[in-house]
Amino acid sequence: MRKQRAHDGVNRATLTGEAVLSAQRGGDQNRPVRFWIITMMLVLFGLSTLKLR
Amino acid sequence: MLLELFQWLAKDYRVFSVFQYITLRTVLAALTALAISFIIGPWMIRKLTSLKIGQEVRDDGPQTHLVKAGTPTMGGALILAAVAVTTLLWGNLENRYVWACLVTTIGFGAIGWVDDYRKVVYKNPKGLSARAKMFWQTVIATLALSYLAYRTNLPQQTDLIVPFFKTVAIPLGTFGFIVLGWFVVVGFSNAVNLTDGLDGLAIMPTVMVSAALAIFAYVAGNKVFATYLGVPHIPGAGELAIFCGAIAGAGLAFLWFNAYPAEVFMGDVGALALGGALGLIAVVCRQEVVLIIMGGVFVVETLSVMIQVASFKLTGKRVFRMAPLHHHYELKGWKENQVVVRFWIITMMLVLFGLSTLKLR
Repeated sequence: MRKQRAHDGVNRATLTGEAVLSAQRGGDQNRPVRFWIITMMLVLFGLSTLKLR
Repeated sequence: MLLELFQWLAKDYRVFSVFQYITLRTVLAALTALAISFIIGPWMIRKLTSLKIGQEVRDDGPQTHLVKAGTPTMGGALILAAVAVTTLLWGNLENRYVWACLVTTIGFGAIGWVDDYRKVVYKNPKGLSARAKMFWQTVIATLALSYLAYRTNLPQQTDLIVPFFKTVAIPLGTFGFIVLGWFVVVGFSNAVNLTDGLDGLAIMPTVMVSAALAIFAYVAGNKVFATYLGVPHIPGAGELAIFCGAIAGAGLAFLWFNAYPAEVFMGDVGALALGGALGLIAVVCRQEVVLIIMGGVFVVETLSVMIQVASFKLTGKRVFRMAPLHHHYELKGWKENQVVVRFWIITMMLVLFGLSTLKLR
């Protein structure tokens, strides 16, 4: 499989296949958004305690 | 469905009576829609990938978007499935507003589905023609609005409410209600579709506006709050809070997969449906003007396209580097993530401003 250097954010590792595609598209840049979503879920869960008691 | 079950159980076990509260069911609807989307999401993305339902990227758009070609699309079907199942689970199925919104949303989703399907499966770049799309949107919106208009017997359910003025309500009558409603429902459906051009750009504002509309729906459906805040009391509208909660939950879960770099796009099936849903909820709650404020990002994106087209046809010059507006900022040098998050922040401010109209009147 063709090897390719990934750009910033992936530590210039040599990657193949889907990992290359992911790195080209921005790698793990969705991590902050996913942490926000988890926080929002926890907030919703916290709000439900207003009624569930 | 669950409401009926819990009401039946509450006769013997009082603990189940807690589920009659709209507020609790709204939060549970959001969490249920989140869970459904998280469970189905990865499977659906794999399925869309294996079926080669990949997004075609227009070569006249920003060159940085060419790398998105082939990303699975039609992920909006995931949102619609989660919203429909959740609403059927937690909503009051005897409520006509719930059915009107659910059927309209699925109807708009069906239009988007046909459009997406023709684009990605038949490789027909035009998909459904703009005229056919508008025709079917008009048919579905008019049917839903006529149903709402002819089932109401209170004048305030068809008046146009002007924010910030407690005593100003413009009587529209049945015809005016349907015409204004058409503009809002069809307009917002297309506005969300135009905004859906960057990863996560359309879904997060949809989640925020939908969460705010849940508050408006709850207030409109509660006689005490509606009277206190000076908004029209629409008996039964409170159940729409559950529908809004489902949209917010499903949307958040979809964002998990749609955040930059997106693993899936919602496609027209999601964008047209969600826009139509937001429009119809606002029409039921009589908050059309507030929706235009809160959904300002959608409105401005649409206006940017209209201004660009009008300007080019009339003067031969372009006002923006590229329309819709998000491409203009990309070409100015903003990173895709920056455009998206900044538009989210603007929406958050607009939603807060919209919510302030509840009290500032």
